[in-house]
Amino acid sequence: MINEGDYVAIFNSIHRVMEAEKLLKAKQLQILLIPAPRALAADCGLAIRYAQEIRCEVEAVLAEAKLLPRELYKKQGEEFLKIEG
Amino acid sequence: MDTLDVRGMACPLPVVSVKRALESAQGALLVLLDDGAPRENVRRFAQGRGYRVQEEAAEGGFALTISGAKVAEQAAAAAGSGPVVMLIGSDRLGDGPEELGRLLMKNFIITLLDQGELPDRMLFLNTGVLLTAEGSEVIEVLDALGNRGVEVLSCGICLDYFRKKEKLATGSVTNMFTIEESLLKARSVIRL
Repeated sequence: MINEGDYVAIFNSIHRVMEAEKLLKAKQLQILLIPAPRALAADCGLAIRYAQEIRCEVEAVLAEAKLLPRELYKKQGEEFLKIEG
Repeated sequence: MDTLDVRGMACPLPVVSVKRALESAQGALLVLLDDGAPRENVRRFAQGRGYRVQEEAAEGGFALTISGAKVAEQAAAAAGSGPVVMLIGSDRLGDGPEELGRLLMKNFIITLLDQGELPDRMLFLNTGVLLTAEGSEVIEVLDALGNRGVEVLSCGICLDYFRKKEKLATGSVTNMFTIEESLLKARSVIRL
């Protein structure tokens, strides 16, 4: 589901994550709304998965809409590396 | 010993075919399959269910001999017989806003990947078939579930209705007879 090198953006509000998904899909960006991996969120949070190649575009769209995620991680091996903003 | 040839089949068909054959096999089963993903998936599936697996190179691929302790089957027999069937009659989970329902259904299916115990069969009906056809965001997940032995079946009439007959992207097509038979013979039915 989450491939090596993918980014996982965790949101803490269902409304924000759904709005972010809509915006990114409207821009034809290949993202996927997924349940936040259990290692990253204790609640039933949601996350958006995207690949390295579109990271800049995704984050630019989110920043412009003031919809930046609560946390951002990168999948590396078995671990998720936290990306500090 | 029964022999099953799944060479040339695309994933997850090898696992699904092996699963069916093991259910009716009396003794060991010899499976001829392609190297790579089919071999990996079938071996993992059989070992996960407590079978012994012996591998050897064979013409055009590999020959796996699957035998021995049917741990999972015996446990299933002790708990009552028949498969666990999940009936998915919609592309939405629960009542309420459509958008939320679709999101919940997608999340439900993705989260199944984290479960140790899976249904034996998932039946997709009505708008549920939109989850198994091209354009669905859970194809990758349903393929992965298929590789773990879950049989993914979609209602043919429903695919036809939504003009998706040629667009089934995971699992296979089924008919009302098989759907009914699955439900009637199931140990338990989980209806979503």
